[in-house]
Amino acid sequence: MKFRVPIFDIKNLSFVLKGQTILSNISLEIFCSEYIAIIGPNGGGKTTLIRMLLGLEKPTSGEVKIYGKKLSNFKEWHKIGYVGQRASHVDASFPATVLDIVKMGRTSQRSMFGAFSELDNQLVNDAMLKMDILDLKDKMIGTLSGGQRQRVMIARALASKPEILILDEPNTGVDVASQKKFYALLRELNKKEGITIVFITHDIGVIADDIARLFTINQKAVICNNPKQTLSCEEMSELYGIDAHLLHVHKHEH
Amino acid sequence: MFEIFEYDFMQRAFVAGIIIAILASVSGTFVVLRRYSMISETLAHSALVGVAVGLVAGFNPLWMAVVFAVISAWLIEYLRSAFTLYSDAVLAILLSGSLAIAVIIVSLGGAFNNSLFSYLFGSILSVSSEDVVTIAIFGSISLGALLLFSKEFYFIAYDEEVAKTSGIKVNLLNFLLVSVVAVIIALSIRVVGSLLIGALMIIPTVSALQFRVGFLKTVIISLFIALFSVIAGMTLSFYFSLPSGATIVLCVLFIFIISLIANNRR
Repeated sequence: MKFRVPIFDIKNLSFVLKGQTILSNISLEIFCSEYIAIIGPNGGGKTTLIRMLLGLEKPTSGEVKIYGKKLSNFKEWHKIGYVGQRASHVDASFPATVLDIVKMGRTSQRSMFGAFSELDNQLVNDAMLKMDILDLKDKMIGTLSGGQRQRVMIARALASKPEILILDEPNTGVDVASQKKFYALLRELNKKEGITIVFITHDIGVIADDIARLFTINQKAVICNNPKQTLSCEEMSELYGIDAHLLHVHKHEH
Repeated sequence: MFEIFEYDFMQRAFVAGIIIAILASVSGTFVVLRRYSMISETLAHSALVGVAVGLVAGFNPLWMAVVFAVISAWLIEYLRSAFTLYSDAVLAILLSGSLAIAVIIVSLGGAFNNSLFSYLFGSILSVSSEDVVTIAIFGSISLGALLLFSKEFYFIAYDEEVAKTSGIKVNLLNFLLVSVVAVIIALSIRVVGSLLIGALMIIPTVSALQFRVGFLKTVIISLFIALFSVIAGMTLSFYFSLPSGATIVLCVLFIFIISLIANNRR
């Protein structure tokens, strides 16, 4: 068996804010090329967990290691692409074309005194091509639909050539057709390019076939290694703190 | 027709004014996009403390203005990051605090005179050769810093958190931006005045935003609006004996109204 070093190694992580426990004693690992979905009730600590992985919040106790290094010693942040909740809600008056936004993905890697290099421009172009937004490149971001904006934000994340893509419910406010395309794209990025995906979502049913593992977060973490198996009603009730009833979803084969 | 350029003081004022128009409009773009507009008012009042100290203690008021504006900028950034205070409240506190300190200093030092008045409202007559050199040197350094990190400042303005997660040193660059803005404001108060510099920094960008174009075009439009306003304002102030700062601000306001009407009729 091949020994695998986790990309993220989280040990006994807790986060307490103003006396309220948000996360309690979480330990988990995320490996290369995995597709992981994170679900849980609102306020259950999903976003807090992601923010701690990204170094945006400091844990009250416990440790996060990234590529075997402590967060404070980690420098290769371009390996991580992050798309937050606000992805599809942009300030409509911000003076940015699609190209301006995608280029931001290369900002931290450009040479100190220089403009963007040929390679930077090529990677920006590739990311837009991959997200099918090349024809929108001169359009103002404020004029795009929610689905288009979402693709722009993913393109920005891809422009840095990430090895891991962290998405925090970037599809709120996006129409159903665009969401379907979006899920197909994530599957492709994971399967074809081997990009590790960590995806906070509520639409677990739709991506159950794509994901490798499922983390359910509600103060504590429950790790489900076989997400295709339907979560039992008891588990759902415990997770969300409500009475859950099993819904039968009929799949139509085409 | 060009007798305006025959006067040495007008030549100095034009050189200083053009440098300030470039600095104020370029830095103003980042200030507006970061929703920091009020910082210019606060820093201008802090610069006034420096002017007051300079006038009373006999130091160069412009240099002292730079020092005090930068200290105030760091204090603002520190208070915003160290405490979860409302940022507009921090700006309001420092603005009135600075003004109070400046007034006390000049009143104790007996420096309430035309000299202070010229720093409040700007005066093209009072721009000395030494001022022009100071404005040119500090202005070049400030512009260099803005251009060098313009892509980072732009990214931070758009999405500070994502910029941070991509490895950009956001806190350090925030300090740099406010420091550069502080220097630019301090340099500008000679020509535009501490009470009016905020307008020259903010209004050209807000006018340019009405055109709804990309970042680079927004900066260029803002730059032209500022240059036009400063040149037109100074010329009008020369021929009609009007205060320079106020005339410049009225010119930029006029362009703002035109751009607002023109772009919202489309």
